[in-house]
Amino acid sequence: MLQRLNVATTGRRFLHWRRAIAEKNASINAFVYITPKTKNEQTNAGAKNLRGLGVAIKDNICTVDAPTTCSSKMLQEFQSPFDATVVKLLREQGADILGKTNCDEFGMGSLNINSVHGPVINPLSFLDGVDGVSRSAGGSSGGSAAAVAAGMCFAALGTDTGGSVRLPASYCGVVGLKPSYGLLSRWGVVSFADSLDCVGVFAANVQDTRRVFDALNVHDPKDPTSVPEEIRRQAAADSQARMDSWSGDKRSLRGLRIGVPQEYFPAELSPFVRQRVKDVISELKSIGATVIPVSLPSTSYALSAYYVIASAEASSNMARYDGVEYGFQVRSPPEADHSTASRVYAYTRTRGFGEEVQKRVLLGTYALTADAFDNYFLQAQKVRQLVKDDFNRSFLGVDVLIHASAIRTAPPLGEDGGLSTYVQDVLTVPASLAGVPAMSVPAGVERDGWPVGVSIVGQWGSERVLMRVGSAVTGVFTE
Amino acid sequence: MLGELRRGVSPFVLRRCFHDVRQYKEDIRWPGWQVIIGIETHAQIKSRQKLFSNAFNATLGEASNTHVSPFDAAFPGTLPRLNHRCVDLAIRTSVALQCDIQTRSSFDRKHYFYPDLPSGYQITQYYAPIALNGCIEVVSPDLTFPVRIKQIQLEQDTAKSTVNPRSRASQLDLNRAGAGLMEIVTEPDIRTPEEAGTYVRTLQSILRAVGASDGNMEEGSLRCDVNVSINRVGRPLGTRCEIKNLNSIRFMMAAIMHEIHRQRVVIESAPDPETATVPQETRGFDEHSFETYRLRSKEDAPDYRYMPDPNLGTLVLSKERISQICRDFPELPSQTRGRLREQFGLPERDIDVLLTIDSERKIPFDGESLQHLDNAEAGAVAYFDKVCTKQRDPKVVVNWMIHELIGKLSARGESFKDNKVTASQLGQLIDLVEDGVITRTSGKHLLRHLLENPTQTTALQVAQDLRLTAFSHSPIQNASADCQKQDVLLQLCAQAIVHLPAEVESFRRGNANVLNRIVGQVMKASRGRADAKAAGVIIARMINEPKQ
Repeated sequence: MLQRLNVATTGRRFLHWRRAIAEKNASINAFVYITPKTKNEQTNAGAKNLRGLGVAIKDNICTVDAPTTCSSKMLQEFQSPFDATVVKLLREQGADILGKTNCDEFGMGSLNINSVHGPVINPLSFLDGVDGVSRSAGGSSGGSAAAVAAGMCFAALGTDTGGSVRLPASYCGVVGLKPSYGLLSRWGVVSFADSLDCVGVFAANVQDTRRVFDALNVHDPKDPTSVPEEIRRQAAADSQARMDSWSGDKRSLRGLRIGVPQEYFPAELSPFVRQRVKDVISELKSIGATVIPVSLPSTSYALSAYYVIASAEASSNMARYDGVEYGFQVRSPPEADHSTASRVYAYTRTRGFGEEVQKRVLLGTYALTADAFDNYFLQAQKVRQLVKDDFNRSFLGVDVLIHASAIRTAPPLGEDGGLSTYVQDVLTVPASLAGVPAMSVPAGVERDGWPVGVSIVGQWGSERVLMRVGSAVTGVFTE
Repeated sequence: MLGELRRGVSPFVLRRCFHDVRQYKEDIRWPGWQVIIGIETHAQIKSRQKLFSNAFNATLGEASNTHVSPFDAAFPGTLPRLNHRCVDLAIRTSVALQCDIQTRSSFDRKHYFYPDLPSGYQITQYYAPIALNGCIEVVSPDLTFPVRIKQIQLEQDTAKSTVNPRSRASQLDLNRAGAGLMEIVTEPDIRTPEEAGTYVRTLQSILRAVGASDGNMEEGSLRCDVNVSINRVGRPLGTRCEIKNLNSIRFMMAAIMHEIHRQRVVIESAPDPETATVPQETRGFDEHSFETYRLRSKEDAPDYRYMPDPNLGTLVLSKERISQICRDFPELPSQTRGRLREQFGLPERDIDVLLTIDSERKIPFDGESLQHLDNAEAGAVAYFDKVCTKQRDPKVVVNWMIHELIGKLSARGESFKDNKVTASQLGQLIDLVEDGVITRTSGKHLLRHLLENPTQTTALQVAQDLRLTAFSHSPIQNASADCQKQDVLLQLCAQAIVHLPAEVESFRRGNANVLNRIVGQVMKASRGRADAKAAGVIIARMINEPKQ
């Protein structure tokens, strides 16, 4: 079964991604737009580290040659006049932009079911040996994760605001990296919650993830939160120095200190997933890592803080969708109340936004009202600082934290998760709040054949460390 | 950061020091009442590009929606990028208004739905503005008073939405959307409509002097919101009403005047005038009826849901940056006035004229200076300064500028900015006259010629081309040229004597006045080039001593 999964990776040079898209996309619904095949004609520039490699782009990242719908009726016809910086960089490195991938509307959701394009079906649902029930690819970047898992692309870009890359990576059995906040440009990335949004990378293995990440890890003056080159270099040098202090043997991790945060084993964590995490930790221990139990006491408050902050920013960012300058528009009937602009816009916004988006806009709008601001938004900012402090304190004693990416394997579609869809976020939102890098790597499969993901979280700018540890984790399971 | 999310100054502190600022002065128009006025001014920043996008700022009259970047139209995926030229101009303004410049400030989003706001929020500085606690010394003819500046904040301008009255369709012009504004907020230190007018004029001249804004109310680059309250003397302050969007000083004063009377009527006609209060409202001003009208009451006040902008972070200003701006600081209007008075000894009347003309000067973008230019674009004061170099007498210069140059320009229906005579040329012209190379009359003729036929050549060259150089005793050092001129003058005088025998006879008999007519003949024959004084001396000598 694993061998079958790995066909996509080992044979990628000879696989035609476009053929895979043609064959599989109808059942998986990962791509919502497929770009016509074009030769990447840019031959002038120097090094082309991604020459000919097919990359899929989440549909909330702007592209000039394809619509950018954010899976919303609001933007169903929307065509951006510019490429996102990350897309521009991919093109410059010779990548072939294959198309746009399905996602939850504006990135809001964890199952990729809030989409005007319909849900993404986890491609592993179609493999022999699994239970045959259609399962979720996870969200919100479900289409990107599924495209990689189904061999429809070399790599895919997603966005991660509270776990939207790590969760689908975990459900689909691929690598998903949410880099440190401020490393990958957000110019051209449709904002959900600016202070949390990160562009993330999906690929079949750590090495490929690294290749794409490296191509995108440059300062962008168009993004005011993009970190200057100097700080990037310093962080990379710090990571390198840390790794140099480990054992000289490449296969050994002697000197690595792994923190196991006790708060990341909630009651809802499935026993099997819990076991896989423990297995990973003991494997890493067996190749020399030191395991240290740590505590991140603010974790339990992180989820509420996340929902207040993310929804507040979302309500602000969604305000621009009023049908005036672009996008979907519902004309108000002549008998309607035209006394205020908001009453006129309400027709467009009521029909243009899906249920989940409306829910969060309402929550965020409330959190920002004068009466609620102090109790909600300000409190949430305080909690966010506590969460950051937690991480900073932990990273004084350990190099990385390891925990489960998800409380369970991919849930069947149509199952009403209720509040548990939010509980899931407990494992992913703290790293988002703290702006630290986190990477989900596949760590084997459960008895029913569904993959389990393990997250590695490091301090800001320590992507190299994450990748080294991630390679070791995946190495354990691919040997 | 969390601390910054509370608005800075405690109103309590302001209340306490309130009455220290101005002493109550009875106004015969409303005896027994005290009027309290505060003004919020929105000044468009004179930057080439908008506050957060690279779109160029439009000038008045340009086609709609031609200066719009995707960010200005709130396209998804766009992000703001702070234009530091705007920040520098705000710092200049803060220095000029004696504010405490905040080395750390931040941006917030103010939310409301309106077609003139494409993103659904305006980026402004609500929690931590760039400057606090300033002061302007306002000088009016009868009174000098301080107006404290509460704060200066940077923010985005909105788009312009207009409703076509016939089709009732809204039309949207995004040219102005996202342009940089400074909101300059005073403490309630103003007491009369006239003071309000003087304050705005003073602010205008300061903004223009530092190049931060055109300050042009007619073109909308300066707009005022005015807060007015009234109270009986010795009683607590009244409830204020805000009058929005006043776009001329005249309208602002009229609006305040109307508001004072309206509020008085509200209180005095109440069942219990002693305890009555005015309902807190936001009001508009009707430019036709000259009255204010209710826009919304306090209950309808919108909740703007202020939120720190998650993209822009903290604006950190280094001490070096601020001191650099202080080093290259332009001269403020009060300094200019002082300098013209003390350094040049000009009378106030002439200073007023020069400053008034100077206020029509075009303000260049991004705080750049045009004062180095030799022409009218430098502005009247810089032009005057330039003409005054080389030890020219400032009083002579100001006379030539105000009476001759400006006079001739207005005769042509032009203003100073249409003046094509360079400062160097005017200086040379004055020298030619002062040195007696040409007569004053020829000087005026030369000036008119230069205005009609702009040229790059020197005034002397043009004077020579026009044969204006005078026939006279001349202090010019060229002896042969001098002699030549002297010969011509003698010849002209001799001819005049021959031409007017009756007058000559009359003069000889002792009628001194008739000499002017003979000199007039010389002037006529010389087409004004002759030195009348010298001609008079020569003619008198010729008549009295005919043998020579």
